[in-house]
Amino acid sequence: MMPTSPAKRPRPLSPNIQIYRPQLTSVLSIANRISGVVLSLGAVVLVIWLLAAAAGPEAYAVVQGALASWLGQVVLFGCTFAFFLHLCGGIRHLVWDMGYGYELSLIYASGWAVVAGSVALTVLAWIASLLLGD
Amino acid sequence: MMIIRSSDQVPRTTLLKRFPVPRNLGVGPESRIGRGKTWPALAGAVRVKAFEIYRYDPDSDDNPRLDTFEVDLDDCGPMVLDALIWIKNKVDPTLTFRRSCREGICGSCAMTMDGTNWLACTRFISDMAAPATVYPLANMRIIKDLVPDLTHVFAQYAMIEPWLQTRTPEPERERPQSPEERSRLDGYYECILCFCCTSGCPSHWWNGDRFLGPAALLQAYRWLADSRDEATGERLDILEDPFRLYRCHTILNCTRTCPKGLNPGKAIAEIKKMVLERRT
Repeated sequence: MMPTSPAKRPRPLSPNIQIYRPQLTSVLSIANRISGVVLSLGAVVLVIWLLAAAAGPEAYAVVQGALASWLGQVVLFGCTFAFFLHLCGGIRHLVWDMGYGYELSLIYASGWAVVAGSVALTVLAWIASLLLGD
Repeated sequence: MMIIRSSDQVPRTTLLKRFPVPRNLGVGPESRIGRGKTWPALAGAVRVKAFEIYRYDPDSDDNPRLDTFEVDLDDCGPMVLDALIWIKNKVDPTLTFRRSCREGICGSCAMTMDGTNWLACTRFISDMAAPATVYPLANMRIIKDLVPDLTHVFAQYAMIEPWLQTRTPEPERERPQSPEERSRLDGYYECILCFCCTSGCPSHWWNGDRFLGPAALLQAYRWLADSRDEATGERLDILEDPFRLYRCHTILNCTRTCPKGLNPGKAIAEIKKMVLERRT
């Protein structure tokens, strides 16, 4: 075999995220992170809302109007879903950190439970807020 | 919705074949994959399956490329490794890959097939998509074609000092171990060091220079769990580090992909518990 010259150029790196299949394991992991970021941004919205409430009725009316618009409602719905996804995912991580739930069947069962649970809780929260609001 | 019960299960349906990221996200110029050749089926082939295979020739100045081979399934064994050997024998003798035992115990033919890591000798061609895609193990420096450079991951393995360490005087005969103590190694001693798990771990993709990765950590636990080993404290000292151990974020791609059905995620959790317990 011909000796290769290693200094010629770096060896290529085989692709990772570009080709690796999204699986429930990795998708829920990144979803947990993204929902955490969304919640941080949602906290800014919450602070703006509180500041407006403290600033007086005019400022409050402006922010309340923005949140009541369809775009505001979409943002709030997204924040609600992010909240419940992060909550359910966080509980799943707590159980793991105690050393339980590592069988592959349990990883998948708890993963789908997080998906179903966070969707159901989001819908329930919105039904409750629409019924109890006004 | 499908509950995966063992790592050899191929999902019935797949929502996304790959993450919606640009093809060249974070890819250095030397790693960009170009369009390759198509090697058509040989005359007379009836049942044909296309394989898209990553190629890289270190002796040329060309970038890696993706070649398409049309394999005659009637002339070829049932496994992906059989297809690779068929291609090498019948179509392109320069196709390069590692293989040895062809029965899932040597760990040589680990590669990324249809986007997940497995051994080519134990994955059925019939389980592969059309066209089937075959890449070398993800996130490795590539020597040639499907042959990854494992120097770095083996150096990480060496770091956990994978041998029995004792302090007490050597007994006249062997160090005995009860069947119960021996059973604590089950699920850990079977690791064949194919590095499917480490190569499939996103934390290792982003922090592989400092995070030891699931294969090395499973091996670390194998020695921590060994009743005969007397270096538990020193072993935990090596591991207790924000990167070496704690870059594991419990993604669990490792447990999903292990071709031996082992559980690196569980092993890492046990190490984290041991680190915590010795503090209290």
